[in-house]
Amino acid sequence: MPAPDSSPPTPAAASPEAPPQARVPLAIEDWLTVIIMALLALITFANVLVRYFTDVSFAWTEEVSVFLMILLAMVASSGAVARNRHIRIEFFADSGPEKRQRALAVLGAALVALLFIGMAVLSVRLVWDDIRYGETSPGIGVPQWWYSIWLPIVSIAIALRAVGLMLRGGRAAAENPDLPTSPEVLDEERAP
Amino acid sequence: MIATLLFALFIITMLLGVPIGASLGLAGAAAIALANSQTQWFGLLAVPQNFYAGLGKYPLLAIPMFVLVGSIFDRSGVAARLVNFATAIVGRGPGMLPLITIAVAMFMGGISGSGPATAAAVGGVMIAAMTKAGYPKAYSASVVGAAAATDILIPPSVAFIVYSVLVPGASVPALFAAGMVPGILVGLALIGPAVWLARKHGMGKSEADLPRPPLLKSFIESIWGLLAPVVILGGMRMGWFTPTEAAVVAVFYGLFVGMVIHRTMTWRDLFPILKESGELSAVILIVVALAGIFAFSLSTLAVIDPITQAIVNSGLGEYGVLTLVVLLLVVAGMFLDGISIFLIFVPLLWPLMQHYHWDTVWFGVLLTLMVAMGQFTPPMAVNLMVSCRIAGVSMETTVRWVMPLVLAMGVVVLMVIVWPQLALWLPQALGF
Repeated sequence: MPAPDSSPPTPAAASPEAPPQARVPLAIEDWLTVIIMALLALITFANVLVRYFTDVSFAWTEEVSVFLMILLAMVASSGAVARNRHIRIEFFADSGPEKRQRALAVLGAALVALLFIGMAVLSVRLVWDDIRYGETSPGIGVPQWWYSIWLPIVSIAIALRAVGLMLRGGRAAAENPDLPTSPEVLDEERAP
Repeated sequence: MIATLLFALFIITMLLGVPIGASLGLAGAAAIALANSQTQWFGLLAVPQNFYAGLGKYPLLAIPMFVLVGSIFDRSGVAARLVNFATAIVGRGPGMLPLITIAVAMFMGGISGSGPATAAAVGGVMIAAMTKAGYPKAYSASVVGAAAATDILIPPSVAFIVYSVLVPGASVPALFAAGMVPGILVGLALIGPAVWLARKHGMGKSEADLPRPPLLKSFIESIWGLLAPVVILGGMRMGWFTPTEAAVVAVFYGLFVGMVIHRTMTWRDLFPILKESGELSAVILIVVALAGIFAFSLSTLAVIDPITQAIVNSGLGEYGVLTLVVLLLVVAGMFLDGISIFLIFVPLLWPLMQHYHWDTVWFGVLLTLMVAMGQFTPPMAVNLMVSCRIAGVSMETTVRWVMPLVLAMGVVVLMVIVWPQLALWLPQALGF
């Protein structure tokens, strides 16, 4: 059994000092998430209204919405990496001696960094192919690399956030006071 | 050999607490590289391709939108007014508040697409009310957690959207319709033990002394909430909107109700709502994308077919295999969350479904029933986590109250296995 003062996972008991701030402000990811979510809702709603009143549907909205959703998944994931909020099995990793918990958190961050560095390197090749062969998007016909270029860029961001988590010894970054995540949603993120 | 490595790497890193998405992606990438060691770049270009393709599906857009709906209706004040109206109908008396909790949770299930969001909305209203009426907090938390599990069965449902993306031929409207009857059955099945426990232990003695809200007034106040499922489900049924569009219409409807009618929200509340629902959606979507890499490596390694053949030829028979699958899901549900269960097990079980000609829609309902049961079965029970935090009790204290509710739900699971028409009747009648 762990010492009684270290066992409960409540933030107050786990770390007497305040949670560390990330070196690069997480407000970047947080506000981008807000903007992309708002855009997704507005574009889709506009599509419904326009089709309802005019019988015309914007074919391009589907392509843009799907792109924005991919961007959302990656950008908000980047913030969630720094705050160590991705879905994982906490049963073994978040119990036992403090030192082991930290070591496992660092291991998790290292593997996330490895995966997304690999993703960045490999996707540069995809982007290069898109540029070289002049691929255009199926819906609107814009150059495909306008979309695919963000895959390596945000992958690097995710990898850097994971490296940051490693450097903090696996300690999750602090919540943004302007854009907090409610306790209900925090619970849900642990097991959707 | 490579297949063993794939599973070993995935399971070990997952148990060590590595994010499940990263475990899936790395194990998949390692297996692809080993299987293609002769080719250029080890065939690893398939990794970003499958990542991008796994995410780039229009139906998935319904996930962030329904998550947003849940977050907005959570704060819109609809749940409290529905509770008032339900109380005005059924009256006061021992065992009535748990009944109302379950009925309102089922109704909220027709608005939001995820169990924990409903647990938060209903628990925020009911746990305080039940405590005041003399119900033990652990009991109230158990009832709320179990009642919210009906949410992913009663349409709309994020779980069905994920399933439909994974399984060709199971459309979202058909799955939504198929979940309706089993979801209502689960709700009815929960009412029995919940009321029986309350009566047997003499809970809620002071409930009868509380005032009964006036019927007409509470009906008028709750009309906006009562109309929400009509807009969402009716709009989809009439072919006005796709599921994604229905979600977006519900977003703006919920914002209108919360900001203009009930005035429980302001513009400033909108930013944290957008951020938290974006974050939660991303946490789900990234696992969907990385599981695409894992599924691709499974399909190229061709390991599932031999395993399937071995299971099929083991002499267990169709119902023996089905029992095994259900037991496997019960165990997996103790450790894994619902979305990960779908992403990991659907590709593995798909050949079995084809071999036995199991209906894909019926099987989706069965899987979702198992996930819903896992949502309030300790130790890994997200709905209970939410309701216990609201009640301020530990999950251990709920075990004695939750177990009868789990058993009641198990009966419904059996019914859906024995009579698949319980799930399939409504989508057939509606012509999906």
